[in-house]
Amino acid sequence: MLAGGEAPWQPSADVYRTRDGWLLKFDLAGVRLEDVTVSVRGRRVSVSGVRRDSMVEEGCSYYSMEISYNRFERFIDMPADLENARVTLQARDGLLLVRMITEGNEYV
Amino acid sequence: MSEQSVYTLPVLPLKNAVLFPYLLMPLSAGRPGSIAAVEAALASESKEIAVFAQRDADVDIPAQNDLYGIGVKAVIRKMTRAEGGHLELLVLGMERVTLVRLDNSEPFLKARVTPLPLPEDKSSEIEALQGALVDLAGEALSLAQPNAAPELRGLLATNEDPLRLAFVLASMFSLDAEKAQSLLEAPSRLEALRILHKYLTHELQVLELRNKIATEARSEMSKEQREYMLRQQMRAIQQELGEKGGEQAEVEQLRERLEKAELPEEILKEATRELGRLEKLPPGAPDYNVIRTYLDYVLELPWKKGTEESLDIARARQVLDEDHFGLKDVKERILEHLGVLKLNPNAKAPILCFVGAPGVGKTSLGQSIARALNRKFERMSLGGLHDEAELRGHRRTYIGAMPGRVLQAMRRAGANNPVLMLDEVDKLGRDFRGDPAAALLEILDPEQNKTFRDNYLDLPFDLSKVLFVTTANALDTIPGPLLDRMELLRLAGYSEEEKLEIAKRYLIPKQLKETGLTPERCSIPDATVKRIISRYTREAGVRQLERAIGRVARKVALRFAEGQPEACSVNPDDLIEMFGPEPFNQEEARRELPPGVATGLAWTETGGDVLYIEATLLPDGKGLTLTGQLGEVMQESAKAAQSYIWSHAASFDIDPALFKNAGVHVHVPAGAIPKDGPSAGVTMATALSSLYSKLPARSDIAMTGEITLTGLVLPIGGVKEKVLAARRAGLRTVILPKGNQKDLRDLPEDVRNEMKFLFAERIEDVLRTAIPQLADRMDLAKMQPIDHAA
Repeated sequence: MLAGGEAPWQPSADVYRTRDGWLLKFDLAGVRLEDVTVSVRGRRVSVSGVRRDSMVEEGCSYYSMEISYNRFERFIDMPADLENARVTLQARDGLLLVRMITEGNEYV
Repeated sequence: MSEQSVYTLPVLPLKNAVLFPYLLMPLSAGRPGSIAAVEAALASESKEIAVFAQRDADVDIPAQNDLYGIGVKAVIRKMTRAEGGHLELLVLGMERVTLVRLDNSEPFLKARVTPLPLPEDKSSEIEALQGALVDLAGEALSLAQPNAAPELRGLLATNEDPLRLAFVLASMFSLDAEKAQSLLEAPSRLEALRILHKYLTHELQVLELRNKIATEARSEMSKEQREYMLRQQMRAIQQELGEKGGEQAEVEQLRERLEKAELPEEILKEATRELGRLEKLPPGAPDYNVIRTYLDYVLELPWKKGTEESLDIARARQVLDEDHFGLKDVKERILEHLGVLKLNPNAKAPILCFVGAPGVGKTSLGQSIARALNRKFERMSLGGLHDEAELRGHRRTYIGAMPGRVLQAMRRAGANNPVLMLDEVDKLGRDFRGDPAAALLEILDPEQNKTFRDNYLDLPFDLSKVLFVTTANALDTIPGPLLDRMELLRLAGYSEEEKLEIAKRYLIPKQLKETGLTPERCSIPDATVKRIISRYTREAGVRQLERAIGRVARKVALRFAEGQPEACSVNPDDLIEMFGPEPFNQEEARRELPPGVATGLAWTETGGDVLYIEATLLPDGKGLTLTGQLGEVMQESAKAAQSYIWSHAASFDIDPALFKNAGVHVHVPAGAIPKDGPSAGVTMATALSSLYSKLPARSDIAMTGEITLTGLVLPIGGVKEKVLAARRAGLRTVILPKGNQKDLRDLPEDVRNEMKFLFAERIEDVLRTAIPQLADRMDLAKMQPIDHAA
């Protein structure tokens, strides 16, 4: 067996260019907003957190499991320094939307 | 993950595997306890489970002691159910934990665990080890998975965390459970790296060995090809070192020898051509050795090399006299040839053929000639040789082909002018493989042997400078054409006096020396030697005599060895004690002969012999009966003798009725020895005359000679041997054919003086002497007076 060596799992992500900055969309269904941390250091945006299996009910058991739970972490290298961007989080339809609004001419 | 936090997790025991932090690992859970544990973990929000390796894979429901104390907290990432109720899991290792307490109160195992992070150590040693590990792993990977190696190596190089690197490598090289566990338990990064380094070093060696074995197995299949490659490499190495390769050196050596050897132009050309072929052949080729041996042979033959010849006649005479007593005539003939060679060095060497009984010195005479001429001496025996190829060699195309004996002898001699003795030329065989005598024709013909072609060599070799000497015991088996080419030199038997002289000069000193005696300690007087010669040996040569003297010497030596102090002399009477009774005394002449018996003389290969021919009348019988192993010629001469007597019965005063009314039986003892030849004709006639006339023949006269139907007595051979035999038997008068008068020169002077010879031209001369009373009856007026030889 060969392992990539990543300890936490990585959600998939889309990156959009918007009029006022950037929109990062993560495939993070079932994750509560309070369990997510977004940090920006220079051009690197990191999104980490935990997916807890909140749907577990008494008396039921798994037949099979494909969704990754527990800690996740994802780094995305942006084309520009976004340390000063304003970051807002929003959960919509099972997706985590991270908006990064930049001021003035900080984007090319 | 707070420090020293303790939490309770379901436990998944692992058989034969260890999960590392940071790594994904597919697992299969089949035991009910494991399935329950997994389901319990999945039921939690975090999907966490503790994974511990089992110490013993055979235990199904492990207790705390059956698990290693250190394991990994893991998250189940995926789970599917496989057939048979197994759970297929994908598990991600998170962090190292210590097992605090195992709880098996529920259907599955639960454990209280506490995280066990590694101290953050960083040192230059770790960096060095990390680098070394990456290198080692790269090497091992290129051996194990040559195709994937570059990518994997890149992956390794980007791994910055040494611990993570260690775990990745551990899973890559599938460490066995025990080692993996020890890696997991390593108290520091340094230790972990060390464990892995040690393991990888070993693994690399194993891989290298495996690789080598695989390579060897592969090359085994094309061993020949490999050998070829190696040889090429060796050649390259040798060239690099300035050394020439083995076979190259061989070729060079041959070339050098070829240049140095003095070869005739034609031979040189051929040899150079063969050398060229040799050079182009690989050393493994079957032809390689054939050509090499051939060239060796060509180079070793004395094409032009000869020994300096000494043609000092006086010295040659001295050498011949030193080595041999007597044989005056033979020595003279040899010296004649030397004289010719001196005056005309280009004269063709004669081919001498020594004919004589065994032990008369034929072979040693050849050696003496070589010594006298200062030439090399080589001897080859032709006795029993029946294959022409033995003389002329086999063609090179045959496996194991060799040159013939002639060229082998030339090579041994190392000179092109040796004395080459061909022994026993009369005993050549012949069979379907060819006739060696025919091959000898070419070899011995001075006209042809200048360019003698051996089958093996296939080059003309000059044998014309060789002095060929052949020996034979008898001439009748030598083919005519061969005999014709040779110069015959007869070595007649020795007389008693000659034997005595030979014994005194050569045999006794030689035998004494061999037994370690001195002439002072042991003397053998002449009388003793004479007794040995006459009573204990019967031969023309001196071989038995030499053996007998040797025996005497050994007996004396034994006495000395047993402590006898004083010198001793061997008396004739001592011989009986030494040898027992005398074996030969029947040669003594018979004192009285009854009518019908006559004394003849015979020539044998061992010298001469006295022969009594007995005839008896068979009343009322018929014809002529002949017994005693008589050959055809002898039988015919008996018939001729009878016919002559019959036809002249009147003149001998014999009653012709005897011929009609009675048969005759002629017997020649000893009956077991085959006899042949015409020389007994005279004796037959005498015996028959004596029989028919009833008058006894004289017992003190021996006779020999061929008889014709008209009564003529023709000359015969072997006069010397016959006379000596007569003398040995005590007969002092011998009747010989007139034609043999000249042969008396061969006899030693003392014998000539002692014996009385009568020469007969016709049978009547013989009868008149042999049967005195018959002479009176004969009224023949033409009786010739008998000559007396000086």
